[in-house]
This record gives sequence, C-alpha cells and structure tokens, in this order.
Amino acid sequence: MKNKYLKTLTDGVVTENPLFRLVLGTCPALAVSSAVANGFWMGLMVIFVLTFSNMLISALRNFIPDKIRIPCYIVIIATFVTIVDLLMAAYMHEMHKTLGIFIPLIVVNCIILARAESFASKNSILHSAVDGIGMGLGFMAALMIVATFREVLGNGTFFNIRVLPAGFPVAKVMVEAPGAFITLGLVLGLINLITARSKTA
Amino acid sequence: MRLRTFRGGIYPPAMKGTSQRPIVDLPAPAHVVIPMQQHVGTTCSPLVKVGDTVKIGQKIGQCTTFISAPIHASISGKVKSIGAVDVANGNKVLAITIENDFQNTLVEGIAPPPPLEELSPAEIAELVREAGIVGMGGAGFPTSVKLTPPADVKIDMIIINAVECEPYLTCDQMIIIEEVNYMISGIRAIMKALGLDHACIGIKINMEGAIDRLHEIILEEKGIDIVPLVPKYPQGEERQLIYAVTGKEVPSGALPQDIGIAVFNAATAWSIGHLLADGLPLTERVITVGGAVKEEGNYRIKVGTTVDQVIEMVGGYTDTPKSIIVGGPMTGFGLYHTNIPLTKQNNGVIVLTEEHVKEEEMTECIHCGQCVQVCPARIMPNRIAKLVKKADVDGLEKFNVLDCRDCAACAYVCPAKIPLLHYMKIGKNYVNEERAKNRA
Amino acid sequence: MEENKLIVLSAPHFKSPLTTKKIMFTVILALIPAAAASVVFFGIKALLHILISVVAAVATEFVVQKLLKKKINITDGSAILTGLLMGMNLPAGAPLWIGAVGSIFAIAVVKEAFGGLGQNFMNPALAARAMLLAAWPSQMVSWVTPIDAIATATPLAIAKAGVPDTATLPLLWDMFIGFVGGSLGETSALALMIGGIYLIYKEIIDYRIPLSFLGTVFVLATIFGVDGINSGLFHLLGGGVMLGAIFMATDYVTSPSTAKGRWIYGIGCGLITILIRFWGGYPEGVSFAILLMNICAPLIENYTLPTKFGKVAKVK
Repeated sequence: MKNKYLKTLTDGVVTENPLFRLVLGTCPALAVSSAVANGFWMGLMVIFVLTFSNMLISALRNFIPDKIRIPCYIVIIATFVTIVDLLMAAYMHEMHKTLGIFIPLIVVNCIILARAESFASKNSILHSAVDGIGMGLGFMAALMIVATFREVLGNGTFFNIRVLPAGFPVAKVMVEAPGAFITLGLVLGLINLITARSKTA
Repeated sequence: MRLRTFRGGIYPPAMKGTSQRPIVDLPAPAHVVIPMQQHVGTTCSPLVKVGDTVKIGQKIGQCTTFISAPIHASISGKVKSIGAVDVANGNKVLAITIENDFQNTLVEGIAPPPPLEELSPAEIAELVREAGIVGMGGAGFPTSVKLTPPADVKIDMIIINAVECEPYLTCDQMIIIEEVNYMISGIRAIMKALGLDHACIGIKINMEGAIDRLHEIILEEKGIDIVPLVPKYPQGEERQLIYAVTGKEVPSGALPQDIGIAVFNAATAWSIGHLLADGLPLTERVITVGGAVKEEGNYRIKVGTTVDQVIEMVGGYTDTPKSIIVGGPMTGFGLYHTNIPLTKQNNGVIVLTEEHVKEEEMTECIHCGQCVQVCPARIMPNRIAKLVKKADVDGLEKFNVLDCRDCAACAYVCPAKIPLLHYMKIGKNYVNEERAKNRA
Repeated sequence: MEENKLIVLSAPHFKSPLTTKKIMFTVILALIPAAAASVVFFGIKALLHILISVVAAVATEFVVQKLLKKKINITDGSAILTGLLMGMNLPAGAPLWIGAVGSIFAIAVVKEAFGGLGQNFMNPALAARAMLLAAWPSQMVSWVTPIDAIATATPLAIAKAGVPDTATLPLLWDMFIGFVGGSLGETSALALMIGGIYLIYKEIIDYRIPLSFLGTVFVLATIFGVDGINSGLFHLLGGGVMLGAIFMATDYVTSPSTAKGRWIYGIGCGLITILIRFWGGYPEGVSFAILLMNICAPLIENYTLPTKFGKVAKVK
C-alpha cells in the first residue's frame, strides 16, 4: 500500500507535474514567478490549500450532490484560501502585498479544481492528502525553476541574494510579463524535448 | 497590335534551336510497336492476330464506345507479337508489334474523299473518326467527339491552338511554315463540321516564320483570324488560350463546349487536312527531337516508332543523357528506358543532360509566394502542398486542388525546389478517391 | 543503348535557376550599400556590431541544429541574413555583446524553436530587436551622431519631444544621405533605396509591400503632421521605415503570399507605424508595426485567397 502513496507523490512532483506536464495553473505561474521568494510562498500556499481542500472534498465525496459539485468545491476551496489570505496578511504583510490579487485567485486555480474533480472526489482521504502534497510540491518546484531563470537574468539575484555583479546589464524584460511567457515557453519546450528524446532512446 | 494573354504564367528559356529546321521524313523502322490506347477513353481491342499480314492504313484496333479512336497500322508487314508494353506515361498498355516488310503496301480502298463542298458535317466527323484522329497537342482527346457536340450544346467559336508554349517543341511551328495549306483545309473542315464560318488561330508572337506564313495565307482566306499572343507559358493550355482569345473564363469544372467554344490543336487540323487530301488514316506525325542528339530537328515519324529507334536515326546522343523526356520538358514524361513507342499524342523527344537535370537540394518552403503569383488557375500550390502532407482532403477541396492544370509553372519557379506539381497530382488523387468513395 | 541510368523525375524537367540560397545571398548583397554606409558614418564600431551579430547568428544556427540532430544548413544564407539585419538594427552606442545576445535569441528562440527555416511566425531579427529593447532599454537607445560619435537623439525622438523648432531638426537632405542619429542600418535612406530597387528589379521582393507601406506612412504623416516637422517626407526618411519596408516587412515567411494580402499587409504596417509614432509611447514604431502584422499575416492570407480561374456562375 505504501507504494501507492509514494507513486502519487512522485507523480505530482515529476511525471504529472501540474505546470510542466499538465500545463495547469499557468496564470499564477506567469504572474508570480518574477522572484524565487514569490514562487516559494505561492507554492507553499497552494500546498496548504490543495492538501486541505482535497482532504475535505474526499471526506465529503459521498455527500456532495453530483449536480452542484463544482459550487461545493469552490466553497470548500474558498474557505481555505481565505484562511491563508488572512494568515499572510497578518504575519507576512510584505509578501501579501507583493502577491496581491493572486492569493484570492488561488480559488480559481485550475490545479486545485482539477484535482478536486479528478482525484479527491474518487479517492480516500489519506490518498487525496498525499496527492495534494505531491501536486503542491510539483507546482512549487515548477514555479521556483521558472522564477530562478527570471530573477537571476532579470534582476541579478537569487532569493533576493545578489549573484551577478552589481554592474551586470541585466535583462529587465525577464522580470516583466513578456519574460514570463518566454521563460515558461522555453522551459516547457525543453522538457518536452527531453522527454521525447528519452522515449525514443 | 495589343497582345493578349492571361494572368500569371512564366517565361522559361525557349530552347527552340530547332525552330527553323525543316521537317525531315525519318525512314520506316524495322518494326513498330503500336499501343492500343493512343487517346483519352477506352482501350481498343486488336483486330489482328500474331502472324497476320497488315498493310499501311489497315485498321488494327477498334473500340465501340463513343469516346475512342480506332488505330491503324503505320507500316506494312507481319504482326510479330501482341502484348503489354511500357508507354511514356509509365503505364503498361496492350500493343501490337509489326515487323516491317519494307513493301509499303497500302491497304485497299484508300482514296481521297470527295471535296469538302460535297461532304455533310456528319460525314466529316465520321471520316475523322475512322481515320483515328485525336488531339495531337498531348491530351489525345478523340477529335470526332469534339466535332459532334451533344444536341444541347451550341458551338459558336473555334480556336486553333498553335501556341506551342513548351520549351524545345517546334513541330507545330514547322507544320505552319511548310504545310500550312493542309492546316487551313483542316480548319475549313472543322468549321464546316461545326457549322461555323469563322475560326481564330492563337499563336505566339515570337513564332518566327510561322506568323508571317499565316499572314500571307490569311489574306486569301476569309473567316480565319490570327490572334497573336504573349510568348508565355502555359499560354497553350486550353483554358488560358480561351481566356486570352475571348476574355471568357471557362467555368471551373465545366468544359469549353459549355460556353460554346471548341479548341483544336494546329497539328490536329493539319492531320485532318492530310486526311482530306489522300484519305490515309493517321499513321504519321511530326515530332521535335531536341536536346543532346546529333541532329536536332523536326521529323515525320510513323506512329509506333520507338524512342531508341528515333534517337538512332537522328545520329545518337552527343552527351550522356541524364533524362529522356517524351513531350515537352514542362509536362512531359521522364522515361525509365528508351524502348517506348511514340504515339499520336507525343509531340517531342527531348534528351536532357547534366546541364538541366540537377538533383537540387530541397529546402523548406520559405513562403515566397512565387507559385501563387504564377499559377494560371489562381490556386495556391504552397498551401496545397502542405495540405497534401497532412492528407487533409477537405482542405484540398477548399483550396481547389482539382482546378490545377498540371502546367508545372509552380514547380518551375519554386526556389525551395519543392516538387509542387507532384504534390498537386497526389492532392487530386486524394480528392478524387474521396469523391469516388462517397459516390459508392 | 548505353548502360546508363536515366533520372526519372516528376514534371517539370526544367526548373528556374533561382534557389533559396540565391535569394538569401541576393538580399544580403542588397544590404551591402546600407551596411557600408553605416561603417562610413559610425566607424569601426558599426563593422564590429555587424560582424559579431552575423557570427553569433551562424554559430547559434549550427549549434541548435546539431543539438536537435537536424540537417545543418547554415550555408543557405538565412542565418547570415538574420545576423546582418540584427546588427543593422542596433544603435552605434550600444555595447558590443548586445548584438550577439540578439542573434542568439533570434535564431534559437524565434527561428529554430518554431521549426527552423520557413516556420518562424515573426521576423527573427525584429523579434530579437523588440526583446532587446524591452530587456535593455537604455543600451538600445544609445544613439550617437555620425562621424564624431557624440550622444544624440534620433530625428523622430526630437520630433516626438514636440518642440516645433525647425532648427533642432536635421535637414531632410541629411536624413536622405544618412547624417543623423539612428540604428546602424536605417539612417541612410539612399543606400537602402539602392538595395531595394535592386531587389525589386531582380524580382526577389514584391514591390507591393514596400510601396503600400511607404505610401501609407507618407500619406498619413502628411495628413496628420504639423507643418515644418512631422511632414510626410520627414517620416519617410526618419527612423527605420526604409529598412523595415524594404528588408524586414518583405520577409517571405512572415508576409502573406497573395497579391491582395500583400497590399493589406503593407498598409497595415504603415498604419501601425504612424499610430505609434504620433500617438504611442515610443518615438519609433516600425519594428512593432511589422511584428504585429507578421502575426496577422496568416489571417490576412486566409481572407485574401485568390479567386480561382473560372469561378463564375455555371453556364447552362
């Protein structure tokens, strides 16, 4: 039985990585990946919301009427999002301000709704929790990978620590919106290329 | 004089080095191979058996369907074998091989028909049909069929196609220069058969000698006009010719006769003229032999002479041949070997050497749009090629692949050296197969 | 009959001598006058910019094709052309590495990532220029005057600043010859026009795109321009309109292949250029205009499909 949970976990992080393999949640990924720290905190919040909403939806899966399941999921997800939103506002005010609208927008993050619909509503509570953690970790990792490129090239820093010399002509475009699209596109292309290669090899 | 033409088209090198070479009669070969299909339509069935003796002009192949033309022996001798042979377009066709006895005996009953004035339209059509005359520009559509249009079709214009827009080919030009009288009498017969007193000859402005010769003759001939045209390829394509001469576009999917126009090749008219003069069925034609052969020129050959016999008779190659083409270099067929019989339809044998046959590297389409600019049918070969790769039949229909005339102008101009015509042909097959499937 | 293999190809057995490679090198040849003019006006730095861009473009093409295990076709000249256009789109005062970065982006991201020759959806050199402009705004506007290389503004920037003082504006004659600040390859309208006329004469480019592009710019600038400055001629000679209209907008891959589509495309380019120049944030809008129209090109083509021959109501 243990293997099942381990597989769910690695599926979430690697083989079914929500951002790179399923291409879900691209909107927050594009918006908050300008710095690694943003990506880290965003990822953490998604792990929290995803895990608990998965658990609760799984627990209630036999009670939620099929016809109105989506509104029910949204209510559950919104509850947890409100919790993290208020927590962030209280204890990490700066980060709360930086991430801004994208925290409440976790409610409509495709990953969370997709997992609720396709996984939590069909599996046990524990299994759903593991899936939530795995998917959340995968999302966080993906965000941080994209953010690493953008922050280092666009700002010369990594996790707010300066890695490039001060006078280095950084490419401002990388921390702006076009940089997000270019980076995400290239990383996705690269991953597709590598998987295509390893399949044929 | 305002020159008329059409939109699109190309100017390939003319290569008409043979344009003033007089027509030379090639001797009858030791044997001829006569395919049973030298026209559009049903294949004829042989009327003779192996070992039979045949005479020049004897009917040896016949078919009862309307769209067909009988086939006659072009030499006298013994039938050596009957079997399938390779023909220029790559198909295998039933053919009769005749060994020449060099007696040149004519079949009995060959006599000049009564003068034109005494012939009725139906009689003319019947004569033409029995003589096996077909469109000699390459298509090979039985001429008698065009001379007897269906009852609901009214032909009100005759156009004679003397454009000969393919590079190298000059046989029509020489026919006009040397034997214009036969052509004119052929045109008169066509006019009479269709009940018209008027015909136009479409000719390229740069046809040296031929245009002057026509002007001389036309002064005395009433009802025949010359329409000089821009020397552009494919001006000789039927629909482009009709547009240039009349300004009318033949509707897509329709036939020229639907807008009351009939087009005949100059060589076809010429052979009708010969028929009226001596009553002999179509057993000879003039072809251009060009390229890397010792004696380039225009030659009168017996139908059924093979390519290697022709090349031997004109002195052989001057250089290692890389490609041998039957027809013109734009639309003709490349041969795998030279033991290929020449039929009524074939107007040339072109021997190309390394100079012209380069295996060029194909690059990706760079979307230059040259093919779109030159396409006389105004379709988009670049898009069609891409659709063919995807086998997208609906897309091919939408992009009108069936309107392609196989003129190869697109493939000629393509800088990426993409075999566009090849793609177009595949595309047409896709669409036709799909249509056949839907009908079934 | 000799024992010798005949080559059997699908018709036609004649092909025009024009090849992709020849087209590319003809365009490169046509760019030589403008490139030479830039070296004359901006000195050795211009030459270095161009060389670095070209070398980077060709090297990137080679590396990417090697990595992707594709056929190496750096000799077809398309990478050289992209590099050359990249170099000519840089201001003389920019640091030397910037052209290399631009070329790498142009070839690796805009061209090869989308499938290589014939597949890119934007002009690689222009997309790279837009990227550089967004990434290093200060470096990409480091214009200098010709010959003495003093920091200056481009004529369009002066006009944009809105000082209706004809004294600060360069003479139209200087703009025609190229004695003004600007990107390396865009200052000399004369040299560009020589190249353009050569290309049109050689039938490499279609006259429709440059004509409609330049015509639209001229007409709109004449209508909306303030007298003295912002005249039609001023906008025709200033900035990258000439370079763009002759060499960038006419890029086959990213322009429509139908005749009607090309008119629309050229007019669109001119319209957006003037919109940006007169009412937009940037003093110059040619690059963005062409990029936007590049993206519209397939759409324009689909709406301007040629009417097939004989498309009339059926007789009978």
